[in-house]
Amino acid sequence: MTRSLAARVADVRRLLGAARRVHADRGALVAGLCSSTGLTPEGVELGFESLEREADGDDLERLVEAAGVARHVHVVLSANVFVAPLRAIALARAAAERVTVRASPRDPVLARALVDALSDPDVTLCDERDVRATGAEAIHVYGRDETLAEVRARARPGVVVVGHRAGLGVALVTARAPGDSAARLALDVAAFDQRGCLSPRVAIVLGDVARARTFAAELHEALADLSLRVPRGRLSPGEAADAVRWRDALAFAGQIWEGAGHAVGLIAGETLALGPSGRHVQVLAAPEPARARRLLGPISHQIVTVASDDSAAAAALGLPHARLSALGRMQRPPLDGPVDRRAAVAVA
Amino acid sequence: MSARAESDALHARALAFVEAFERGRPMPETFDALSVALARFQARRVGGYARLCAARGVDLATLRTAADAPAVPTDAFKMASVFAFDRTLATATFLTSGTTLGARGAHAMRELGTYDRAAVAFGRAMLAPGLGPSVPMLVIAPSPDEAPDSSLTYMSARFVRSWAEARPATATYFVRDGALDVAGLRARIAGLDPARPAIVLATSFALVHLLEALDGATAALPAGSRVMQTGGFKGRSREVDASELRGAVAAALAVDPRRVVSEYGMTELTSQFWEATAARPEALPGVYVEPPWARVVPVDPEDLQPVSPGEIGIARIEDLANVDSAFAVLTQDRVRRVTGGFQLLGRAAGAPARGCSIALDEMLGGD
Repeated sequence: MTRSLAARVADVRRLLGAARRVHADRGALVAGLCSSTGLTPEGVELGFESLEREADGDDLERLVEAAGVARHVHVVLSANVFVAPLRAIALARAAAERVTVRASPRDPVLARALVDALSDPDVTLCDERDVRATGAEAIHVYGRDETLAEVRARARPGVVVVGHRAGLGVALVTARAPGDSAARLALDVAAFDQRGCLSPRVAIVLGDVARARTFAAELHEALADLSLRVPRGRLSPGEAADAVRWRDALAFAGQIWEGAGHAVGLIAGETLALGPSGRHVQVLAAPEPARARRLLGPISHQIVTVASDDSAAAAALGLPHARLSALGRMQRPPLDGPVDRRAAVAVA
Repeated sequence: MSARAESDALHARALAFVEAFERGRPMPETFDALSVALARFQARRVGGYARLCAARGVDLATLRTAADAPAVPTDAFKMASVFAFDRTLATATFLTSGTTLGARGAHAMRELGTYDRAAVAFGRAMLAPGLGPSVPMLVIAPSPDEAPDSSLTYMSARFVRSWAEARPATATYFVRDGALDVAGLRARIAGLDPARPAIVLATSFALVHLLEALDGATAALPAGSRVMQTGGFKGRSREVDASELRGAVAAALAVDPRRVVSEYGMTELTSQFWEATAARPEALPGVYVEPPWARVVPVDPEDLQPVSPGEIGIARIEDLANVDSAFAVLTQDRVRRVTGGFQLLGRAAGAPARGCSIALDEMLGGD
C-alpha cells in the first residue's frame, strides 16, 4: 500500500521527535561520541547543534518528493559527521515503509540512539554487511566513491542504489561581508573538526591579496578564540601527517597562520592547495566572481555547499548543484532533501 | 658574492662528491658541511625556504647538521617557485604529472651539468658495471622530443648519450605518440648482436604493456643484458608489484633477474637511487642504495623526526646535487632502512577518507 504524502511527512516528523529525545538525553552519548569521532566533549556539543529536530512543513514535503518511493530501503551509513544519520534515515523513511540501517562500525552511536528512540518496528538496525541479504529494493549508501562502487557491484539486479559521495564546502567572502564573517566561518570550520562534506576547506575573498591576507588573519584569530571554547579533538595519524605536510607546504608557498588546533594558509597565486580535515583552511584572493569560478573549476564537481554573505555572488560561481547558505550556517541546511544534491541514482 | 657565483661554487662542491665516487676516493668534505652551506644559500635565495625555516624556528646561523634543516614538501613544488635563480636563467624545467587540482610540480634547473654527471656516474655504476663504453640501448619510454618536461626521459637520454652506441632515435625510443611500438622493439631486439649485452630502460607501466603484448612469448636479449624499471610508485604504476614484474620481465627478455634493477627518482630531485643487484653480489632485490651525495632518512610523518632503525617512516631525501632548489625534500613515500640501503614501501595513504570527507591525497593527486 502506498503511503500518502501526509503520511510520509508524518513518519519523518516522528523521527524528528526521536531526534528531540536523543538531543535532550545527549549527555549520555557524549563519551561514546568522543570515542568514536575523536571530537572533544565541546566538539560533540557543537555538533549536536546541527542535529535536525524541527523542520518546516514545506521543506519536509520537498524531502519526501526527493526521496523516491520504495517498499524497503536499506541505508549504509558512513562515519564522520555523527548527526548525519538523522537526515539519511529521514530520507529512507520518507521513501519506504520499511527501513533497515547499517550504522558505521566506526561511529554507530547516533544511528543506534535514533532508532532506539524512534521505537518503530519498521525502522531497524541491521548489521548485515552483504547488501544482497537485506532484501531491500533500494539502497541509500553514504561514503567514498569506492564504497559506492562496491555496493553497486554487490547489489541484486534491479535494486536502486542511491549514492551520496564525498564532497566539500567553499566560502565566498565579498567586500560587503559583515565584520563577524570570520567568526561565523570559524564555526563552520570547527563543526565536526571539518570532516564533513559541508565543511569549508577553502575561503575565496573577493578582492586583492591584501584583503585576503587580512581575512586570513581574522579567521586565524576567530579559530583561535573558538578553540578556547571548543577545542579540536584528536586527529588520526594520517590526518596529523597531512596537517604537518600541508602546513610546511603553505609556509613555503605563501603564508601560514598556525594555532594549536588549526591553521590558515594563504598563497598569493591561484593555486588550490586544500588542507586536510582538522580545521585547516586555504584562503585565496579573486578579484571578481568569474575568477573565483575559474579557481574552483578543478573541484567544482566536489563542491556540495557554498557559504557567502552575498547570494548573488555565490550564484555567480556557477555551481547549480551546490547548496547556498549564509556564513555560520553551512552545517545546518534545511531538511528538504539530501545534503548532497549531486546524489547519483543507478539501477544495479 | 653574486648568487650565480655562489651557486657555481656549490655546484663545484657537489661535483667533487661525484668525482670522488667515480675515482673511488674519499669524499672531499662531510655531508653535513655541504648540507649546511646549501641550506643557508637556499634560505637566502629562495624566499619560500626562508619562510619555512622561520615558521619552524630554525636559526640557520647556528645550523650544524643536515637533519636540523627543514625539508621542503613535494607539494610545495606545485604551489610555488622552488629555485634560487632568476627565472630567465632556467635551462630546463621538469614537471610532475597532472593532478585532480590541475597543478603540476615544477623543478627548474639552471645548471644541468651537475644532474648529468651525477645521474650518469651512479646510474652507470649500478646498471652497467662491466659493460663497455658503447652499449646497445633500448628505451621503452618517449624520446626527449616527445616528453621534453619529463625528468625520467631526460635521464634516459643522458644515459643514451653517455654510454649507448650511436643509433637513430627510432631505433632507441620505442614509445611514440603515447603508444608502445611492440613490433619495432621486437625487431630491434632480434637484430641485436648476441655477443654484446644490451641495456633496456623502461617504466614499470611500459613493461607491463610489453608483457601483455608479448603474451607469453620471449624476446631474448643478449646474455649479460640489463633492464632498468622505474616509476613503480606513482599513479597507476603503483599497483604493479615490483618483484612480480621483475620475474616476469626477466623471463620475457631472458635476463638474469638480478640484472633487472629498479631505479627510484622523482622530478623534485637531481639524484637517483638504485637497487644494487647488478653491481654487488651481496645486494638484495628491493633494497635501494644511495650515492654518497644523497641520503634517504625515514622520518615520523607527524613530527618529522627520524624514526628508530628498522621502523617505517616517510622519506626525507637530502640531495646535495639539488643545489638551486631544495637540498632536503619531504616525500610521501614510505621507506625503511635495512642493511645495505632502504626499502620502498609505497605511497603513504594520508588521512583515511572518512565518511564524506575527501582525503588530501585524492585532492592533491599523485606526483
